[in-house]
Amino acid sequence: MRIKLTVNGLLYERDCSEHHTLLRFLREELGLTGTKEGCGMGECGACTVIFNGKAVNSCMMLAAEADGAVIHTIEGEASGPTLSAIQASFEKHHAVQCGFCTPGMVMSVKELLSNKPKPSTEEIKDAVEGNFCRCTGYVQIIEAVSELTGANEKGELEHV
Amino acid sequence: MLYEFSYLAPRSVADLVQALDEHKDDGKFLAGGTDLLPNIRNGLMRPRFVIDGKKVPGADALNGGATEGLSMGPAVSINDLLRSPFVREQYPVLCVCAHELASHQIRNRATVAGNVVNASPCSDMAPALLCLGATALLRSAGGERELAFKDFFTGVKKTALKPGEYLERIVIPAASKGARGSYKKLKRIAGHDLGIVGVLMVRLGDSLRFAVSSAAPTPVLVESVTAKDSPEEAVAKVLAAVSPISDVRGTKEYREHMIGVYVRRLLAEVK
Ligand code: FES
Ligand code: FES
Repeated sequence: MRIKLTVNGLLYERDCSEHHTLLRFLREELGLTGTKEGCGMGECGACTVIFNGKAVNSCMMLAAEADGAVIHTIEGEASGPTLSAIQASFEKHHAVQCGFCTPGMVMSVKELLSNKPKPSTEEIKDAVEGNFCRCTGYVQIIEAVSELTGANEKGELEHV
Repeated sequence: MLYEFSYLAPRSVADLVQALDEHKDDGKFLAGGTDLLPNIRNGLMRPRFVIDGKKVPGADALNGGATEGLSMGPAVSINDLLRSPFVREQYPVLCVCAHELASHQIRNRATVAGNVVNASPCSDMAPALLCLGATALLRSAGGERELAFKDFFTGVKKTALKPGEYLERIVIPAASKGARGSYKKLKRIAGHDLGIVGVLMVRLGDSLRFAVSSAAPTPVLVESVTAKDSPEEAVAKVLAAVSPISDVRGTKEYREHMIGVYVRRLLAEVK
């Protein structure tokens, strides 16, 4: 099936296999391998992309469903060597260790901040609830977001 | 996915019912895909045709007004409910259950219709629809019929839907507006997980309703508890309606005990 979609501001028109997931299409057809496959079934969030403004698990969608969609992936974050604000804050707070969860984590945070520019700690936790990180223990990730957006009204960070 | 199938995306109700009719045996309706696609991946389902119901005009409509109740199409996602000011104000019970379902990303895709059509005993939306007296509008090439959700669930992952039929709309009556409630879901972890057991209590005027998930082959509605019952009587009535089993997630005894704990807490909490 022929699909047209916008990814990180570029319009692509491609043939896709009807049984392929959006994740596989992004990685194998478009070569955008920043988005990762962890579990392939909705548990880990490594495959998170922004689909028409909403964070979704690209392992649980078909590429065919994305016909006409506007998608953002981790590749759209940095411009050249300059990190995006979210990425820079992750780096500063050691919110990246092995980095496998990071592309998905950054996409979840990006969706959150597009709706709530100053989220509370609870809201940050809710937004990344579907993103597993086996390295950082999450605290650094929450700190990275909190510092970026300014301390939330509740003040002190509580540990997760 | 290694398993191959064809994808159909009908653009009208007429084309959709025709596709479902033609593929009664080898087709599957695709809504949010958050159960169907992992099931296909894991080899639990092997449809030859995946029929996307989201491209039909109105599939994502979530309508409600001052005098009507609430009506939603098969593409309305769990987060669509949580984002709707109308639903939050008039039907807070839906939001209470919606928020307990899976993770944020899954709630962005998973649909209310898909959650109930899967008919898992641990469905989080079924308790809300049961307690709010919702009805299902089912459509097939043969026409349309209406069914109360009380009669919709027939067994573990089984519903009254016939081959070729789909859930076109979920309708919640205006009479349930303003119902208040709370949902207690026992999970192994604080994050997203399937429930070990869940109890929803809803109070509308003087009437009380409970719905229990993961404690019987289907989600169970209990309407026999009255405002005059003592907490012990209420617990006994709810337990009489369920038949939990022991499985990997918990034992029968643990489930029964926690249902009692939750019923007592809910009676104290939902005033
Ligand atoms: S790879 Fe998609 S959720 Fe794990
Ligand atoms: S940094 Fe390794 S999983 Fe998150």
